[in-house]
Amino acid sequence: MENTQPATAGRQDPTALPIGILAIAGMTVFAAVFLMAESEAAVGGLLAFAAVAVLGAGKLGLLERVRAAFRDHELTMHTAIVIGALAIAWVFREDHFALLMLTMAMLYLTACLGLNVQLGYTGILNFAGSSFLGVGCYTAAVLTQHTAIPPLVILPLGGLMATIVGSVLILPVLRTRGHYAAVVTIAFAVLFKTFLEVNDSLGGPQGLAVGEMTLFGWGFNSNIEIGDFYASFYMNYFLLALVITILAFALTRRIERSWVGLNMDAVRIDELAASCFGINLARWKITAFMLGNFMIGTAGALLGMILGFIAPTNFTFADSLILLSIVLLGGMGSVWGIALASAIIVMLPEKLQLIQEYRFLLFAALVILVLRFRPNGLLPRADRIYFPGWRPR
Amino acid sequence: MDLALLGQYVINGLMLGMMYALVAVGFTLFFGVLDVIKFSHGDVLMVGAFTGYTTFLGLEAAGVHMPVIQIVLLVIASTVLVGLLGAAIAKYLILPLTNAPALNILLATMMLGTVLREAVRLFFPEGSNPKRFPRLLPDTVIPIGGFDLRVDSLMLLIAGVLVIVAIHTVINRTKLGLAIRAVAQDAETARIMGINFELVVLVTFAIGSAAAAVAGVMNGLYYNEINFGMGLLLGVIGFAAAIVGGLGNIYGAILGGFLFAALQTIGAVALPFASAYKDVFAFAVIISIMAWRPTGLIPEKVSERV
Amino acid sequence: MSEAILDCKGVTRRFGGLVALDTLDLQMPRGAILGLIGPNGSGKTTFFNVLTGIYGFSDGAAAFDGRDITAYSSQEVYRAGIARTFQRSRMCLPLSVFDNIMVGNHKRLDHGLWANVFARKKLRKAFEESYEEAHELVKIFDPPLAERMFEPVAGFPMIDRRRIEICRALISHPKLLLLDEPSAGMTHEETRQLMDDILEVRDRIKDLSIIIIEHEMGVIERITDRCIVLNFGRKIAEGTYQDVANDREVQEAYLGAE
Repeated sequence: MENTQPATAGRQDPTALPIGILAIAGMTVFAAVFLMAESEAAVGGLLAFAAVAVLGAGKLGLLERVRAAFRDHELTMHTAIVIGALAIAWVFREDHFALLMLTMAMLYLTACLGLNVQLGYTGILNFAGSSFLGVGCYTAAVLTQHTAIPPLVILPLGGLMATIVGSVLILPVLRTRGHYAAVVTIAFAVLFKTFLEVNDSLGGPQGLAVGEMTLFGWGFNSNIEIGDFYASFYMNYFLLALVITILAFALTRRIERSWVGLNMDAVRIDELAASCFGINLARWKITAFMLGNFMIGTAGALLGMILGFIAPTNFTFADSLILLSIVLLGGMGSVWGIALASAIIVMLPEKLQLIQEYRFLLFAALVILVLRFRPNGLLPRADRIYFPGWRPR
Repeated sequence: MDLALLGQYVINGLMLGMMYALVAVGFTLFFGVLDVIKFSHGDVLMVGAFTGYTTFLGLEAAGVHMPVIQIVLLVIASTVLVGLLGAAIAKYLILPLTNAPALNILLATMMLGTVLREAVRLFFPEGSNPKRFPRLLPDTVIPIGGFDLRVDSLMLLIAGVLVIVAIHTVINRTKLGLAIRAVAQDAETARIMGINFELVVLVTFAIGSAAAAVAGVMNGLYYNEINFGMGLLLGVIGFAAAIVGGLGNIYGAILGGFLFAALQTIGAVALPFASAYKDVFAFAVIISIMAWRPTGLIPEKVSERV
Repeated sequence: MSEAILDCKGVTRRFGGLVALDTLDLQMPRGAILGLIGPNGSGKTTFFNVLTGIYGFSDGAAAFDGRDITAYSSQEVYRAGIARTFQRSRMCLPLSVFDNIMVGNHKRLDHGLWANVFARKKLRKAFEESYEEAHELVKIFDPPLAERMFEPVAGFPMIDRRRIEICRALISHPKLLLLDEPSAGMTHEETRQLMDDILEVRDRIKDLSIIIIEHEMGVIERITDRCIVLNFGRKIAEGTYQDVANDREVQEAYLGAE
């Protein structure tokens, strides 16, 4: 080992923060240019550029500094990322399509963070992710059409409903292991979609319309026009989705950086050793499963409102696999990896119409390659830091 | 309910059960030798059905019109090709991953299933449309009371039984089967005893996949229609059947397969208000069974070393 | 204190027709170090697994610190004050040294979801205190190791993993420590070091009792007060190391009887 200096005693690197901020600025510009790119050649060129840039930065040791910036100046870096996201939204304020894509990517991220608490931390395989997304969507549809409940309240209710529906699976999920556990959620995913198709009161195969989000009397499906200022109505949803994503992200992070996250990891890695040290397996599996489903369902409720119309075909087993692919592609337990993977999986096929038709094929092949050659994902999970910036005295 | 309808339900249920059992046997064989789940199995079945269909088209084009010859050649082409496909999947995807977590293999093979499914949809001519599978078996019927027993159904059922008996015989009565059982019992020891581990694994995957190809062709002959997505549900059901029966056990797989078909049939008959719920009912029962017997109806013998 | 810390009567464990542990009686006084020896498969680890609730008792009973623990689950056994290590060192390899030790500290930490997510100030205080304590403990075993508390265990050699595993068991101040072949996979010198460290820790933790399974007879001779020899699940001898080493039946069990 060349690194003789103990890692915990390393001093702060003064160049880390500026380089970190520059990296975020660079990524913001890249994302904006990427969203603007019209031709497929341009998109391809940008992807190649990104690959070269990342590899080059790695060679120059810049990635290490960015990582250090996140470790030592987390709040600043997070603020910079939010500002970057807002800047992109500002640039595309009149562009329905770009804002919709960004919003979708954030909602997928929120749902996948839920899956991450289940799979990445606790090791519970959930093959019914899109079913719980669907529970959120259908909850939103029914409640916006038939009740006067304020839509903002409907969002957590969507999560709650997903948690309740999911709770019928708790007993089999707790009792089964490995492949036997897989069959439980797979069966549920198929069951759920079939149920939606044959159930007339939920619209059957045709599906249901979902009402819009409103906040303090402001309908989200109206474009924003204040004097000369104009912004697409998707800006409303973008901002709300951003808030929800930040909340989901903060929640996931705080869970990871606590004894709860440690317990979940211990349950995932070695159930027997965990229970020999007093860790209650059932308690943490139930917590993770319910919390994850709550996050997925909440994202689903807003997703339904944005789509405006939902049908059983949105919630197939294949869609659940896409959600799981995001978690694996990003890296199990790695929140930033999952954020990156959400952006890739949601936006890439939209930008590359050429591959639109082939997207399931390509994603599937991509995930196989990742599993085979980079099993920890694109951005593997970093070691747990309980309190960023904390150093032993 | 009159006899004719009841008979129809029973034959249909048996036919489904046979197909599920053939798929489940594959799952359980793979699990036996390598302790892995190869989730692409359902889509391998679909490839089998499409291979059979393509062979039929080729024979027609070549001027071979005799149904008997067609069916024999079609089954041979399908089982051989799909057997090779199964062995290739084992060699290039599953064996390299054997040291990875079980979940990774499950997901990798799920994704491989997607690749196969999408490849057929995109690259088979008109792949996204259902294909009319030819009716190659005699369409005569044997009247039993008020019920007309279709001869082709009977032939398919007998063929299915023969395939299962053949697999059972191979596993329990041949030297190859002995090697497979040895590997299933303890791969390390089997290797030391001079058994060619990789060869046994590949052959097992070939056998299991060929069984799925037979199920695929059966499916085509029975329903006279195949499509690129047919493998997904059959794979899910076959997997559920193998799991509910208890992995690593052929009898469990057969039990699970027929159990699932029985559940669907009961769901269709006993839920008169909504026979559309038969799959919902069947899967709900499966989930309940998993809660009740978490390691299947015939549990595999596992012991964790502490 | 004359009261026994552990009192087992007729502990039996059957697996189908196989009797892995046959009516074992075992008493040990508080603060003692008891050696558990015997050939492979003689039931030593099975005894640990039965005692710690991994396998149930087929028959017999155990009292620990005056409480009947026969029906306790693994979690309850740990809470009662028994901590163990495993023959094949079961660490959470991807997690850091600190994380692994904190797994052992479970019963002294607040696991409420609300407290962990929102009461971060309090959590920070608990974290800092736990860190100090874990750091001190690891330092007894190996000072350089104590400076690498936040590195994944996967990167450490076997001897360090054994040390970490013992720290994981000790951090919660158990009254009884079960060591399952701590010297497996280590050199003579490393074993000697580890035993010194264990003895040092025992001097610091008042009344810590230890049961150790070990094949290395030098270790047994050096650190145990008393030994129990098992063969085919049955106790065949009990006494000081010298006593049992000179026992005819014990010698036969090891060398093979004619």
